[in-house]
Amino acid sequence: MTRRRVAALLALLALAACGRKGKNAESVIQRRLEGEPKTLNSLLATTDPENVVLALLERNLLEYDEKLELVPGLAESVEVSPDRRTYTVRLRPELRWEDGRPVTAEDVACTIRTLVDPKTPALSRKSYWDGLDRVEVEDGRTARVVFKEPYAERILAFNLPLLPAAAYEGTDVNTNPRNRAPLANGPYRLGRWEAGRTLELVRNTQYVGEHPGPERILFRVVPENAAAFQALLAGELHEMRVTYEQKTRLEADASASARPLLFDELGYSYIGWKNDHPLFSSPKVRRALTMLIDRETIARTLYGGLARPASGPIPPGLWPYDPSILPWPYDPKKAAALLSEAGFRAGPDGVLRRGSERFAFTLLLGAGSELQRQITEVIQQSLRASGIEMTIRPMEWAAFASKVDAGDFEAAILAFSLDPNPDLAVYWHSSQKAPNGWNTSGYQNPKADALMDRLRTTFDREEARGLYAELLRVIHEDEPVTFLHTVKTRWGLSKRLEDVRTSPIGLFLFWPGGSRWRLGPGTAPL
Amino acid sequence: MLAFALRRLLSALATLFGVLTLVFVLLSAAPGDPAVLAARSSAARPASPEAVAAFRRLHGLDRPLPVQFATWAARAVRLDLGRSFQDGREVRERLAAALPATLYLNGCALLLALLAAVPCGVSAARRPGGRFDRFTGAVFDLLFATPSFVLGLLLLLVFSVKLHVTPLFSDPALGPAGIALPVATLGLGAVALLSRFVRACVRTALEDPAALAARARGESGRASVRRALRRSAGALSALAAVLVPSLVTGSVLVERLFSWPGAGRLLADGVFARDVPVVLGLTLVAGGAVVVASVAGDLASAWFDPRLRDAGLLEGRS
Repeated sequence: MTRRRVAALLALLALAACGRKGKNAESVIQRRLEGEPKTLNSLLATTDPENVVLALLERNLLEYDEKLELVPGLAESVEVSPDRRTYTVRLRPELRWEDGRPVTAEDVACTIRTLVDPKTPALSRKSYWDGLDRVEVEDGRTARVVFKEPYAERILAFNLPLLPAAAYEGTDVNTNPRNRAPLANGPYRLGRWEAGRTLELVRNTQYVGEHPGPERILFRVVPENAAAFQALLAGELHEMRVTYEQKTRLEADASASARPLLFDELGYSYIGWKNDHPLFSSPKVRRALTMLIDRETIARTLYGGLARPASGPIPPGLWPYDPSILPWPYDPKKAAALLSEAGFRAGPDGVLRRGSERFAFTLLLGAGSELQRQITEVIQQSLRASGIEMTIRPMEWAAFASKVDAGDFEAAILAFSLDPNPDLAVYWHSSQKAPNGWNTSGYQNPKADALMDRLRTTFDREEARGLYAELLRVIHEDEPVTFLHTVKTRWGLSKRLEDVRTSPIGLFLFWPGGSRWRLGPGTAPL
Repeated sequence: MLAFALRRLLSALATLFGVLTLVFVLLSAAPGDPAVLAARSSAARPASPEAVAAFRRLHGLDRPLPVQFATWAARAVRLDLGRSFQDGREVRERLAAALPATLYLNGCALLLALLAAVPCGVSAARRPGGRFDRFTGAVFDLLFATPSFVLGLLLLLVFSVKLHVTPLFSDPALGPAGIALPVATLGLGAVALLSRFVRACVRTALEDPAALAARARGESGRASVRRALRRSAGALSALAAVLVPSLVTGSVLVERLFSWPGAGRLLADGVFARDVPVVLGLTLVAGGAVVVASVAGDLASAWFDPRLRDAGLLEGRS
């Protein structure tokens, strides 16, 4: 009897020991941050290191799912009034902040008021809240948000995290100490933050949703890509964005502890032509320039097959994407004909001329991407073969960004990463020409403007789809810029990671994002 | 002596003010607008003009440049260095977090370098052209020519990845192994420079007629080296003063490679983001250190050599 009891006890102890060992080894996911988060206030956050951490600490009122449809988050519903101006937010019951206080409609109201306050530089969120009329608290779980005008994509504004009113009401949001010690309402809360090194998240016991993820998630600030990759191979980091060479290395080595993951992310690269520049003012010339660039070959050779020519400003991951619009083909002969129609003839120095004007211009290139530099050199050669002289001017990033945003360039190579809002007006409406907005190429077509204006208030998705198809065709014919490529995102993931899902906005900024990743046993690397 | 010290201090402060003004002018004149950069960094949707305007107002970027600088300077006198454009934190707080890490790293590296450089340099100088001189010369030339980033990556691959004797992520909390690699990377670069310098100084001193005469009178080798080192002390301390600013900001690449949250990284990020308060704050600290070091050096020289202070030789300098 006693012996059996002892044996049982021993067995239990052994089990407990195993259990603990297993837990320690497997319950911490180690993730990479490319830089130190600047703030953990979700209204002020702008860059990836902030957003990926916040995605685990805070739920949004509405969340994007894997297909970018909005689904309930903190809000069980957001109802729109018939006049499309009033949105009634109904919070789920039982929601709590990590300190145990309930999440209430007061928090919703405080967050929105802070957001629209002229003193709040909420760089990535403010634009959705233009034209807010008022926000009212109806009861503990219900808030009513009234806008001055209806807007078709307004509902996307409610992909909104909350600030706790108890900590922020009546304070200066820019210097609030909670910006570095956030109160969580999501599956994790901030454990320890060792500035510049690590951020440790632990499970938030006040969180009501399901919680299959690990006990702890450790973020390491590793700015240098080469060092991070060594850590990935050694199993000391479980995820990171990888370069083409690193992706190839992971593919080639079947015994590596990490695997590559490739998926389409929203965005495209392009060459902006200044539309009011005499050389680039005609759509014919811009189309010709596009046709002189062999985007298929660039995709195959420089991108290793991980890119495809872009057809326009809406990439395949967004619902208005129109597959019937094909990218302009690589066709130097047709391009030559178009240029000749536009009045260009070969000059004595081999460079095309129209009257006294030579087809020579300067392309700005922002420092930082070796790949982009190679692409511009390939393009430079193809253009030269057709009598166009393009000078490449590499610039430091900050100087480049300022020139581009001021619209102060002839041509520039750029890339956009997009959010789920398909509204094209911020990029292509003539009212948004630089320096007022992000139509930096200065595209202007009254027909396109009219379509974008109509889309602002077109609430029926099928009707909107038709209008988008029309708009995309107008932009395709005008080719305001040369749309280069949509590119696959490359990630390196530990082979032990399970339940990793992707979305067009990446691995983390949708629901459930990284909150349900688990570490399988795997074989621990030596 | 007191008057001399005061004069020296005042001129040093004027120099520091000049340097700060210059840094401010250069950073403001460089193309690139902090508000535009912050707006660009926002993940996807372009920032609205209202948000950018709020950013400008918050950081006083809507005011004329001279006013911005005057405001900063007036606050800096009261040791308020303003707030970072990047994260809105107090620059003082950011410096307080970054400087100890950097001073620790660079201090260890400099100590290591000195401990290795002096014996190496002296040995090489005693038998110029000898086996040891040629060997260390070749090794140090190679080390000096290797970019610190490459050297660091090599060390990381060998000691952390292959041999597992050092951790992949450097951290002083892990004891000596936790800082070995960044210290070695910085130290080896410095040892190359210092040891060649020591060698040159000692050799010159040893070839001096006075040293020759002393040896002819039967002075021991050890004593003549000691004398030679003493004669080179001036040049060596001048070099040490030159190395002071690099203590604060000299390890940008190494800090990046080893994920070390120090002042070098702070400075690099600050410059790229046109974060004027951070860059000025670091300039003030590094510049202040140089001023203190050079004034202390001059005072020490003057103390030991009355000719310097009486002949007023130092007024013309600074």
